[in-house]
Amino acid sequence: MSENLKKHIVELFHEKSKGDKKMFYIRDVTKWLPDEDRHAIQDAVKELLDEEVLKYWSSGSSTYLILAEFFPKEEPCS
Amino acid sequence: MAESKTPLLDELETGKWPSFVKEMKQAAEKNPMARDLLDQLELSYKDKIGHWKHGGIVGVKGYGSGVIGRYSDRPDLFPNVQAFHTLRVNHPTGWFYKTDALRNLCDVWDKHGSGLTNMHGSTGDAILLGTRTEHLQSCFDDLSDAGFDLGGSGSALRTPSACVGPGRCEWACIDSLDVCYNITMSYQDKIHRPMFPYKFKIKVAACSNDCVASIARSDLSIIGTWKGDIQIDQNEVLAYAPTIDIQKEVCDLCPTRCMEWNGKELKIYNEDCNRCMHCINLMPKALRPGKEKGATILIGGKAPILQGALLSWVIVPFMKLEPPYTELKDLIERIQDWWDENAKSRERLGELIKRLGMRVFLRAVGLPAVPQMVKAPRTNPYVFFWPEEIKKEVK
Ligand code: SF4
Ligand code: SF4
Repeated sequence: MSENLKKHIVELFHEKSKGDKKMFYIRDVTKWLPDEDRHAIQDAVKELLDEEVLKYWSSGSSTYLILAEFFPKEEPCS
Repeated sequence: MAESKTPLLDELETGKWPSFVKEMKQAAEKNPMARDLLDQLELSYKDKIGHWKHGGIVGVKGYGSGVIGRYSDRPDLFPNVQAFHTLRVNHPTGWFYKTDALRNLCDVWDKHGSGLTNMHGSTGDAILLGTRTEHLQSCFDDLSDAGFDLGGSGSALRTPSACVGPGRCEWACIDSLDVCYNITMSYQDKIHRPMFPYKFKIKVAACSNDCVASIARSDLSIIGTWKGDIQIDQNEVLAYAPTIDIQKEVCDLCPTRCMEWNGKELKIYNEDCNRCMHCINLMPKALRPGKEKGATILIGGKAPILQGALLSWVIVPFMKLEPPYTELKDLIERIQDWWDENAKSRERLGELIKRLGMRVFLRAVGLPAVPQMVKAPRTNPYVFFWPEEIKKEVK
């Protein structure tokens, strides 16, 4: 597994997360890297998920990816 | 007597049918989450709006699906449902349980959740309704110890499901249970770690009665069928004659009108039969499917969400299905890979084929165009050829 690819993906996530939008589809990630093999990107993302650099966020029907640091905190009972 | 806190829900108990309100009230007696759930639902009926916030947490360690995060948007009023996550538990294939397995499942759920279940969701899974975030991992661990695993959710391969098939049904043309189990075990990664553009559902019915409604509910339907002649026992046909009107109920309702009955003998023009099961359903003692068994593979079914509902249509008229199902799984993988490559986010397979066209799809997955693929004969006479094929024809 290419550590470079993983690093690049994380950089892209940071860059793209500068605005309000923090959650991305896996399709967004493969589009950021049109020259990379789609399967290699997916494998790299899976490793980043294992390392908890990225996290899954799901509505129940569709799944997004988000940098762990931006994962929404649970709201305490107010 | 104290005034009821849930007058609107109470009305639902007065009908003729079993009421989920009654079940929830029963659970509420011993579980505070179920109590707050009732009260929040009453508020929803009053406000005519759901009070859930969607999404968030998705799983337990190593998993990206199987947990559906739900939070109350009124935790100030209903603190016990502040977090009320759903767990999808992969059901045993064909929904065969022993009672001790069900008891185990319920014990785990009484320990970690609201005690409320939904057996079964339309995904097929055993749905466990309502637990807190801090219980997710320990609940999963207890489920694993009891031999259960989570099912699919989100942009993943969803829990495959199958009709009871040869487990109970004499009409089964394929071992739907084994096919489903094999697919489930082969694609664990696709189920637990979402990497698809959107959901993908596979359902297996062992005959065209399609008891799992695979045509309406799955992106890829596998339906048992046969080749060759329907087996007829003429004596048994005669034995049915006094009890059913064979002409009216059997022959006249055959969709292809390929049966003849002269009062003594039943004739089937098998070349015109589309294996719909109607006649066999009516006269099971007299008629049986043909001897050579296999499956028809269909594609593209989905319920309405971003676009309207689609029913699956045929892509492989007949495929032999025997373990280890290499031909089937190769096809599934080619299809998923093409979809994964080309679909927009949240675009289902059927929608993608509609957008790019059947001929593009067929070329990509290496299937020949055959007449059985015509989805609605006579409504659209246009066939789109590749330009080089036209040249070939003209020469
Ligand atoms: S789909 Fe066919 S084989 Fe399966 S349970 Fe229904 S009737 Fe039986
Ligand atoms: S299976 Fe259906 S199409 Fe075939 S002969 Fe029977 S009723 Fe007709």
